[in-house]
Amino acid sequence: MKGYEYHKPQTIKEAIGLMEGLENAKYIAGGTDVMVLVKQGKLAPANLVSLRNVGELLYLDLQNGVKMGARVTHTAIANNEFVRKRYSALPDGAGVVGSRQIRNVATIGGNICNAAPSADTACPLLVLDAKVVIVGKSGERQVPVDDFFLGPNKVALEKSELVTGFIIPAFGDNTGSAYIKHARRLAMDLPVLGIAARATIKVGGSEARCKDAFGAADDASGIIECLEAEGLVFEDVRIAMSVVAPRPMRAKKAEEAVRSKAISEKLLEEIGEIAASESQPRDSIRGEAWYRREMVKVLTKRALLRSIERVIRPDSTAFPNRLW
Amino acid sequence: MENLLYIGKDIPRTAEIDKVTGRAVYIDEYKRPGMLYGKILYSQYAHARIKSINTEKAKRLPGVRAVITGYDIPDVRVGFLGDQAVLKRDVVRQFRDEVAAVAATSPEIAQEALKLIEVEYEPLPAIFDPIEAMKPDAPLVHESDARGRPLRSNILPLPWKFSAGDVEKARQESAHIVTDSVTTTWINQCCMGTSGCVAEFDSNNNLTYCGQTNVIFGAKQRIATYLKNIGLKGKKIRVFNPVVGGSFGTKLDTDIYEFICIQLALKTRKPVKIRFTREEEFAVLPPRQAARFTVEQGCDKNGLLTFRKVEAILDNGAYTSWGATTPSVMMLPISSMYRVPNVSFQATCVYTNNIYSQAMRGYGNPQAAFAVETSMDHLAEKAGIDPAEFRLINRNHPGDVTPMGLKITTCPLEQCITTVKEKIKWDEKRGKRNGRGVGMASLIHVAGGARVYLSDGTGIRIKVNEDGEVDVLSGSTDQGQGSPTVIAQIIAEATGFRPEDVNIVFGDTALGLWDAGTHASRHTFVAGNAAVRAGEMVKRQILEMAVQYIPKLLKRSLKQQKKKNPDFVEPVLDYTMVDSPEKLDLKNRMIFPKDAPDHPYFRTEVGKILTSGLHVGVGESKAVVAEVFWDPPTEMLNAEMKGNYSCTYAFGTAGVEVEVDRQTGEVKILKLVSAHDVGRAINPALVRGQIYGAAYMGVGFGLTERVQLVDGKVVNANFRDYKILTANDVVPVEAVIIEDPDAAGPYGAKGIGEPGLVPTAPAIANAIYDAVGVWIKDLPITPEKVLAALKAKGD
Repeated sequence: MKGYEYHKPQTIKEAIGLMEGLENAKYIAGGTDVMVLVKQGKLAPANLVSLRNVGELLYLDLQNGVKMGARVTHTAIANNEFVRKRYSALPDGAGVVGSRQIRNVATIGGNICNAAPSADTACPLLVLDAKVVIVGKSGERQVPVDDFFLGPNKVALEKSELVTGFIIPAFGDNTGSAYIKHARRLAMDLPVLGIAARATIKVGGSEARCKDAFGAADDASGIIECLEAEGLVFEDVRIAMSVVAPRPMRAKKAEEAVRSKAISEKLLEEIGEIAASESQPRDSIRGEAWYRREMVKVLTKRALLRSIERVIRPDSTAFPNRLW
Repeated sequence: MENLLYIGKDIPRTAEIDKVTGRAVYIDEYKRPGMLYGKILYSQYAHARIKSINTEKAKRLPGVRAVITGYDIPDVRVGFLGDQAVLKRDVVRQFRDEVAAVAATSPEIAQEALKLIEVEYEPLPAIFDPIEAMKPDAPLVHESDARGRPLRSNILPLPWKFSAGDVEKARQESAHIVTDSVTTTWINQCCMGTSGCVAEFDSNNNLTYCGQTNVIFGAKQRIATYLKNIGLKGKKIRVFNPVVGGSFGTKLDTDIYEFICIQLALKTRKPVKIRFTREEEFAVLPPRQAARFTVEQGCDKNGLLTFRKVEAILDNGAYTSWGATTPSVMMLPISSMYRVPNVSFQATCVYTNNIYSQAMRGYGNPQAAFAVETSMDHLAEKAGIDPAEFRLINRNHPGDVTPMGLKITTCPLEQCITTVKEKIKWDEKRGKRNGRGVGMASLIHVAGGARVYLSDGTGIRIKVNEDGEVDVLSGSTDQGQGSPTVIAQIIAEATGFRPEDVNIVFGDTALGLWDAGTHASRHTFVAGNAAVRAGEMVKRQILEMAVQYIPKLLKRSLKQQKKKNPDFVEPVLDYTMVDSPEKLDLKNRMIFPKDAPDHPYFRTEVGKILTSGLHVGVGESKAVVAEVFWDPPTEMLNAEMKGNYSCTYAFGTAGVEVEVDRQTGEVKILKLVSAHDVGRAINPALVRGQIYGAAYMGVGFGLTERVQLVDGKVVNANFRDYKILTANDVVPVEAVIIEDPDAAGPYGAKGIGEPGLVPTAPAIANAIYDAVGVWIKDLPITPEKVLAALKAKGD
């Protein structure tokens, strides 16, 4: 491990200014990705620009959508009751990154800028239509998360540009979301794949009658039968997948195919099939391609069901790990 | 055996407080003045000829004190079959082959220097599949043996062959027969403390070696042989342990890095430390032996086992360590788990260009038990008998002599099975095939020593200081298993002192008597037996002194009281109550007449006697000291692999309830009950700790863990990709202690270090079959395998 200069700017402006003038420099926030790479010798920065003292990056504004600073930790997101209820996919993802110790220091900005194909907060932000707030020497710009990821560990940032925060639009009571991390362990693991979903249901009152199905049904088919019988319709759907492509991606064809359609067993199967066809999984030491494709089908359906459940039973805080 | 003060009590592990507060001196903290740090350069190929090695640039790096290659040290073979050199200079045969080593003033500089060593290779054809490697035209991993004689095959000259009864005849007479293929893979032992050592020579080339070995005298002998072979015959060697962060088999053999460290110390004339990074621990350290089994079993129409035939192929990797000897322990379940009259077993070890293997908790038992116990369920189903009932029908009994010649003493297997049945709600939950299921498996393991070397002995020395401190020098080692507490309890009980009076020094060849090693679940049994014997000698010596000094002290005290107080009336005492050691006892530091434990005058604190004995003038003083070398009455396996190699055997049963997600193939353990025959629990809390830990390792072995090799290279050399379970993955384990004191054990105790791991994985596999009707006999049972099997079945 070679030595590096450690800089501690106090403001965004100062940070960008420093970055502008330094050779071979890297921003560092929680450090849970950067320091691992440095220790492994995969990254040898001459300068580290720490964001730890930049107070401007630490905010969580829940009025009219979510505005959150890049330095907000995974723990802060995972523990926020309001975010858990209204933007559930995000704390679903933030709450399963690494371990508790890592989540206490790792930041959402870092997770997104690291742009691992497996990042646990990427899919949630994708389905929540989040925008990345970027500040550079020429000012601020906003980029949809979907346009921010360019490839493995590659993001749409120019030299010295800094991700300062994220903006998530407000969703109504008729929207629920979920993220399912499929991993071999419950901590210190990367997902074999991750699936996030957001479902916005056409409001009509029938959803209230489905409430009991989620509580009582032994398996998913019982729930779906009830949803079918009540004629519940998807107004809008988002599906995002991680690890099954070089970057976290949306299953746009699947989203398109179900918009404004009545929820049925067949439709949910179809969504899974289409999403699977959009995925491009590969064999790796962490999982085989056929299995990942198969899991896209299964987990897309489950993530959507969980999203619907969160519309219908918004006060239920104890979401089971598995629906069946 | 009644009125025991310390045996059977949950005495806390006070000796370990330093570990959790960060004070303990592990190899990381062990430092010597002027110490250098060694690092090793490994091969870039699974099989290649080394064309050239250039170390010039590395030598010029500031801070580097030595760079050595195979050309700088004598070409001496090491290892159990002498099939490798310390540094390889002509051919590398696996990715972990050591090609060069550096000693520098810091580990960072040493690491930097490795990058400056230029090695030119010419790749050779490599072979990674043991089946392929057995074929006549396969590329040879070794062209010649240790003595230079040409080799024509990759099959090792280790004839593991066992036969009892008439398998062929029994097969013909069987009502039901099943055959299964079973595969187990490489498992990393995952010690919390990674490997390391510090070697240091004095001016006379005597070696002080701080290493983590749990076989200190074996290691000393191997190092002595090595020193002799490199021209340092007759040098003094002291081997001792720092605090060791786990062994689980990894410290049984002397690893190549240890010889390299010795060479670097010799070259630099400085103390040199080598400590593995976690990546090295995964990529370089020999893992659990991988094995493939074909297991065939039969039973008659009543469900009695008729025969068992097992053939095993072991991927030996490129060199030979203890992995190649695991068949000697595979023998246990294969020949002796349940009553089976006709048995044949054959194991073939094959060289490949993969990583080579060594010992891990359970040795070969977990692998073979997985084969035998999954086959048991298969056969039970074929015979139409409930698997628990099937096991009960065939269970071992006290007094049995198994086909291997094991003499079963105590055997509460029936109780283990029925306890598990009850606790897992077997009858209620079994046979539903609704995604939830229960399964069980049992084990037999050595629990009373294991004669794997000519001596199965251990030595212990006890000295009692004047103030009543009990110092114990044990030839065994403590790698974290709780021995300082358990052996202290045994010594306290045997001597009459308290556990907190006992101070034990483990793991130092300069201090301890010879010991065969802290392995094979033998320590509590063997060292405990030695401790009981030595403790009784100590007690006897003290009681003999008491006979002499209790009357003296008492009379002097009475005289003084009389002097102070003329009205004092001297009591009439019957001094015959204390006139022989047989009439006295010592408990909890108090000496008293057996007939009158609370005697107001004769009851004496032990310290007074010890002080009196030590300070009586010329020629009369006495210090209390005893030593015992105890070699249990065990037999070494003979040429037919038969013999009673342990004094007693441990039995146990694991029961598992699982839930299988049919769409993802994921297996969730809802409950794990592990009931173990421990003879007598010296410290029940520590016994449960051993069972919990081993059961978790068994879950990892069954479901998640594997060292992944791609063309000979370990590709998951870190904890991110090596899926050992974390604290979050907690499985509800109920550890049940079954006590049936064994006459051979110290206070009836048997060994329990390894057993908990053995039956866990097969119980899981059997439970999965009960839940969803698919057999996965290729470990680990990953969701991929379960889902693929479900799909193949048409679910």
